[in-house]
This record gives sequence, structure tokens and C-alpha cells, in this order.
Amino acid sequence: MKPNNISKYIAAPSGILMTLLILLIAVLFLQGIILQTASVLTYEKHRAAKNQTDQDKDLTEEEKRFDRIRNSQKEFLHDGTIHLVHRPQRSSRHSDEPEKVQIYDANDNLLWQGFKDKIPYQYLSWSGPRPHQYHRFTHKWMKNIQMITPEFSQVLEIPITSPDKTRQIWRYHPNKDFFIGYDTAGQKIGHIGSTGFTHSKDHAKPFGKFKSFTAWTLQHSHNPILLWQTARRIYQINFEKQHVRLLFESTESDIKMAAPHMWWSFKPGTIEHEMAKNYRPTIRCLTEDGKHHLIMRNPDQTITVTPPADWWTDALQLTATKDDIFLCCRDTETRPPSRFKPYDFYLQWYRKFEGKPHKEWIELYKLDNQANLHLLNRFEWTAPPGAHPKVSAIPFRTRIQRSVAVFSTPLYDLAWYLLGREFFIKHYRDKDFFAGFARATAEIRPASSICNWLLGLAMTVFTLCHAWPRRTSWQKLTFWLVFVLAFNLAGLLTYLALNHTSLIKCPACGKRRGLTQPNCIRCGAQLPPPQPRKSDLIFN
Amino acid sequence: MRFLALLRKELRECLPWLLLAAIILLAIGGFILRDAQLHEWYRPSPSRFPSGSIMKWYDFTIHPPLSPVGPVLLLTSIGLGLALGARQFWVPHFTRTWGFTIHRSLTRSTILCAKFTAAIIAFVISLGTVWLALYWYSSHPALFSMLPVKRVFIEGWLFILLGLVVYLGTALTGLSTARWYTSKIFGLAFAAIVIFPVILQWRLGWAFALIIISALILLSQTINAFSEREF
Repeated sequence: MKPNNISKYIAAPSGILMTLLILLIAVLFLQGIILQTASVLTYEKHRAAKNQTDQDKDLTEEEKRFDRIRNSQKEFLHDGTIHLVHRPQRSSRHSDEPEKVQIYDANDNLLWQGFKDKIPYQYLSWSGPRPHQYHRFTHKWMKNIQMITPEFSQVLEIPITSPDKTRQIWRYHPNKDFFIGYDTAGQKIGHIGSTGFTHSKDHAKPFGKFKSFTAWTLQHSHNPILLWQTARRIYQINFEKQHVRLLFESTESDIKMAAPHMWWSFKPGTIEHEMAKNYRPTIRCLTEDGKHHLIMRNPDQTITVTPPADWWTDALQLTATKDDIFLCCRDTETRPPSRFKPYDFYLQWYRKFEGKPHKEWIELYKLDNQANLHLLNRFEWTAPPGAHPKVSAIPFRTRIQRSVAVFSTPLYDLAWYLLGREFFIKHYRDKDFFAGFARATAEIRPASSICNWLLGLAMTVFTLCHAWPRRTSWQKLTFWLVFVLAFNLAGLLTYLALNHTSLIKCPACGKRRGLTQPNCIRCGAQLPPPQPRKSDLIFN
Repeated sequence: MRFLALLRKELRECLPWLLLAAIILLAIGGFILRDAQLHEWYRPSPSRFPSGSIMKWYDFTIHPPLSPVGPVLLLTSIGLGLALGARQFWVPHFTRTWGFTIHRSLTRSTILCAKFTAAIIAFVISLGTVWLALYWYSSHPALFSMLPVKRVFIEGWLFILLGLVVYLGTALTGLSTARWYTSKIFGLAFAAIVIFPVILQWRLGWAFALIIISALILLSQTINAFSEREF
């Protein structure tokens, strides 16, 4: 292609695209700075208002009792008795002083009070929602370590050590989705995939779509064992023994969450080590179809609980002692709506309960080996109205956000509707460029605001006034008008950046005209010849 | 022949920058790798994993020994792009020597082609070969107990390509006749913006695609500006 053709067909659109991208990002930056300032101001205002409310709060004895019951931790003894463990003064997280607690029974009689580490009762221990964030390596971290960054991407390596030095390295290859082992001389030892250890690369099978892993060491060993979770399976990988064990496979739906409890070994002498003596190691696994699976060891057993449809499946907990299996179910009248609902939906839900008392309850069930539920105990209480404080006017930040979004392009809305709310929320915590784009789009999209369209129209009218005397063709003029309407402020700035031509008064018709066209757009007269100068005598 | 003469002239002008970039990368990169080889700071200590405990995941994520070389390579590449772009498209404007290049029996596309070829050769010789040498050194099992993955080598080349994008952005800014406070700086601004999505990307294919698209956007405008501008 000749350079002239390139200039005709590619350079002009490239220039528009480049300028538009730069100005979209510039507008986005400005909007971001304003929003962050608003966030800081809102937080300060909120904190000041909260301090004032706390000072003004003067609860009656009955309200204080309701408040205490609501905020108490509900614990069950192994026979199903419920205790309410209340912390009158929450100590600082960094304080070394042991915390004081008061223990009440279901009839609100004080049973015991003293330091937390001296509690004379043994309560049922449940698997937490998930291991601590530092102990759980998720698929988001897997993406993050592969990010290019100025320091290059990282690799996931499991070292196998003897007391003083590293003997083997097992490196995970995300593209192949299995581990390759190397000795200290850099030679390959073999491969570890879903089917176990193999010497040949061809026989190594991938694990499946990675979700998360947690690692621990056994007593008297420094070598990690991995609990490797994929979309449908949970494996336990022992690199020292080069052994892979499939713990669980969900054939019908993806695994939503897996929470181990007493699954790993603890150091002798610790509280966890003593507690583990009374429990079977378990992994509670929630699948997308709402079923709970309890994978147990000593002996190996898996049971599947299908909770009734009206239960709050996200708030269920399971545990297995040496003798029994228990299920704990919490619920409330004000159960929050499921994820990915529009903001107004949440606001509507919030407004329904604001400033009103509501019921909350907890139930304990015993499970038999066929996963049948037998109710052991139930406790119900009334939460005071303060649990859902009244929402005042629209927060300051939201008002600023709406004002700032007026200057955004309506095409953000189009992206929002085409890709879907779920896409944006799922990518919200990623750290790559597209996650950043998703976050920015969600924050500053105009949400079909009328003000946004009115401002767009006003800018289009301004563009028309500016472009009318400078116009060279109707097609170009129409393009720029549509462009400004579609891209709002960034579109207007792009138009101005690429069309900053001077105007002169046409000597023939006396009206203003641009200099990019040789003939006047109104009367067709040519540009006037330049004024004769003295040097023209030499050049001519 | 005329093209080769012009290419030699361009290479001669690029030579100081080419050598400077190669020396900086080789000296700093070599020092970092030698230090890594002697002290093995990239290898986590076995005492990190106490028995009978749950482990923190960041104990398993390892940076390659080449990781401190990455910022040096990226900055050198960007610096070389800026220097070559300025040398080829800004300096002739300030020294009023465009006429010597333009008024020859050559088409403008040949002149531009010679400039681009010289820049690509400069990048490949100064940064490409040094990067290749550093990677080869770090891949020696006798010297390092942890060998880098091939992906790191490709990422290094992405950094070199980013330098070429900066070069094109500088060239476009140098050729633009607009005022500096209007759209003149846009070429350079665009090249600077492109760096971020590339280094915040975890898919190599997407990173390459971003670089190619942005390079094409800048290249087409540079060709257009050079063909139509009056010198």
C-alpha cells in the first residue's frame, strides 16, 4: 500500500482513536480524583455523625438486654444446650490482656463470668467460612502471580527439603495445569497431575480449572501437603511421597466453597491440638446447586445434605465429633438478597427493615449417616431496631458520583448491559487492566441518566455551532455530531483537539469560514490571494 | 545503495545511544545476576516451613533471579525509544538539518523506512542481544539452582517492544506541527498509556496484541505526518 493510501484510510481513524483513548482516560482520571475526594469527605462525615449518635444513645434496660443477646456469640455444648457468650468490653486486637466474657443460658441467667481462656465449657467447634486469606491461595492470586509487571511474572513452587537444604522443586505450570519436578541440578524428576505421579509428560493429566489451594506440614516434617481445589474436584497432594488422592468430585455442579476443619495436624501443646482429639477431620463443601457435602476422615466418609429450599444455605455450618455429626443453621427475617442484584433492590430491602425490630434464630441439628436431620435445639431472639439504622438522605459520595457520571460516555452503560452485572462484580477484585476497566465502568457509568443525555445534546449543539463555518463535507459534520453525542465530554474534547482551525471573514459574502477548504462553504468564493509584499519583486 | 547509505547514516547517529543502552543493561544486569549467583537470595530458606503448621501461600510464590533486571530492561528500553525518537525526528528540526535529508533523490517513504530500520536494528542489537545473554547466563544449571521459565524470556522481549512503541510515539510527537499544549504531546502520551495495560496483563497473547495495535496506530500516523508535512 502506498503511503498516500495509508494516510487516507488508516491514519485519520487511528488519530481519532488515539486522541479519544487519551481523553477518555484523562476524563476518567479527573472523575476518579473527584470521587476519591468525596469518599474521604464522606468517611469523615460518617465518623463524626457516628460518634455523635453513640454519645446521644441512651438505651433502656430492655433495649440493652436485646442488644446484648443479639451481639452475644451463640455456642452449643455437645448435648445441644445453647449458651450466649457475651463480651462486655471488646479489647483491642493487639492487646495482650485476656478478654473478659459473661456466659448466659437461654433464659438469660448468668452462668459464669471470667477471662475467655478460662471458660469451663467445651463448645462445638465449626469450620470457619474459609481459611485465613494468607493461608488460601485462590485463582485470583494465580492470575496475579502470572501478571507481567516490571519484575516479571512469578512461579508457584513447592520445595521438598531435608533439614538443611532443598532436595526437589515442584513447579506448577498454569498452561499445562500440572506440576513438574526438578532436582537440584535442574533435571526433571517427573510430573504430578490429576492421575498422580508419572515420569512421562504424555501421561500427566491436568487437574482441571484451578480454584484454590491450602498447604500445611505434618508433625516432624517440613514438607508441604496441598489441598488442591478445582472447579469440580478436591485433591490432596503429597509431594514428598509423590502421591495424589482425589478426596471429592462433584459431578453435577461446580464447587462454590470448601472449608476444612481440623484437617491438618497441629503442634502438640496448642489449643487446636487438644481440640482436634475430639473431632474428625472434615471438609465442608458447598456446591452451586445448594448442596452441602461433608468429607470426613477417620474413617473416610462423605455425606451430602440437601437443605430445604427455604433455608439460608450460605449460613449453614457442619462439624463431626468422634461420635456425632452436627449441623448449625442461622437465619433472620432480614435475610439479605442474593448477589448481583441492582443497587436499588438492596436499598429497597434495607428500607423495608430500617428502624424496625426483627426476629433472628439459630438451630442445631444432629445428622445420622444417611444425612437425615434431627432438631436438637432452637433459640430465637428479637434484634433491636438499631441493627438496621435509618438510612438518611442519599450519601454525599453517591450524590457526587451521580454528578460526575453525567460527564461519562453512555457507551459505558452499553458495556454494562451487554457484559452483565455479574461480569463486573466477579472481576471487581482482580488487579489486571480489564478489572480496572470493569471497576471504573461500574463506578462512573451514567446509568441512563437524563442529565447525561441532556449534557450530551448540549455538547452536540455546541459542536454544531463550532463546526458549521468550518465544515468541509456533510459526512464529516454528521460523523462529529454523532461522535460527540456518543462520547460526551471526551468526544467533545477529541473533536476540538482534531479540528482547531482558524476562522476568517469571507471577503465575498462577509460570513465566517474555515481555512481547511479552498472554497467558501457558503458562497463558493476562493480564498483571497495574499497581500503583495516587497520581497515578491525578488521571487517573481 | 542509496537506502543503505541512508541506513548507515542513521545507524551512525544512533550508535552512541545504542552503545549506552547496551552498556547500562549489561553492567547492571550482570551485577544483579552475579550477586544472585553468589548469595542465592532468590531461593527461600528451608526453615520457612515449620512442622505441624498451616503455611502462608506467599512462601510458594517465587520471583526468578532475573526479576530485578526487569525494571532495568524496561527503563532502558523506554529511554532508548525516547532517545532514538528525539535524535531522528526532533534534533533535525532544532538544528535545521531536515533539508539535507529530505532534498535528496529519494522518496520520503525510503527515508522513513531507513529511520525505522535503524531504530529496530538498534533495539535488537543493544537490548535484544544483551537480554538474550543475560537469560542464557541465568539458565545455566551449574550457576543457578532455580532456572527461569521461558515466559520470562518472552516478557523481556515485550519490554523491548514497548521501547519501540515509545520510539514511535516520540517520532509522532516530533513530527506534529501542533502546539505542545494541544495535541502535539498526544503521541508520547499514548505510548506512555500503552505501557500500563501491557505490564498489568497476565495473558501474553493479549499483551502482544495490545503492543501491535498501538504500534500500528502510531506508525500509520507517523507515516502520514512525515509524508504530508512541509519541512
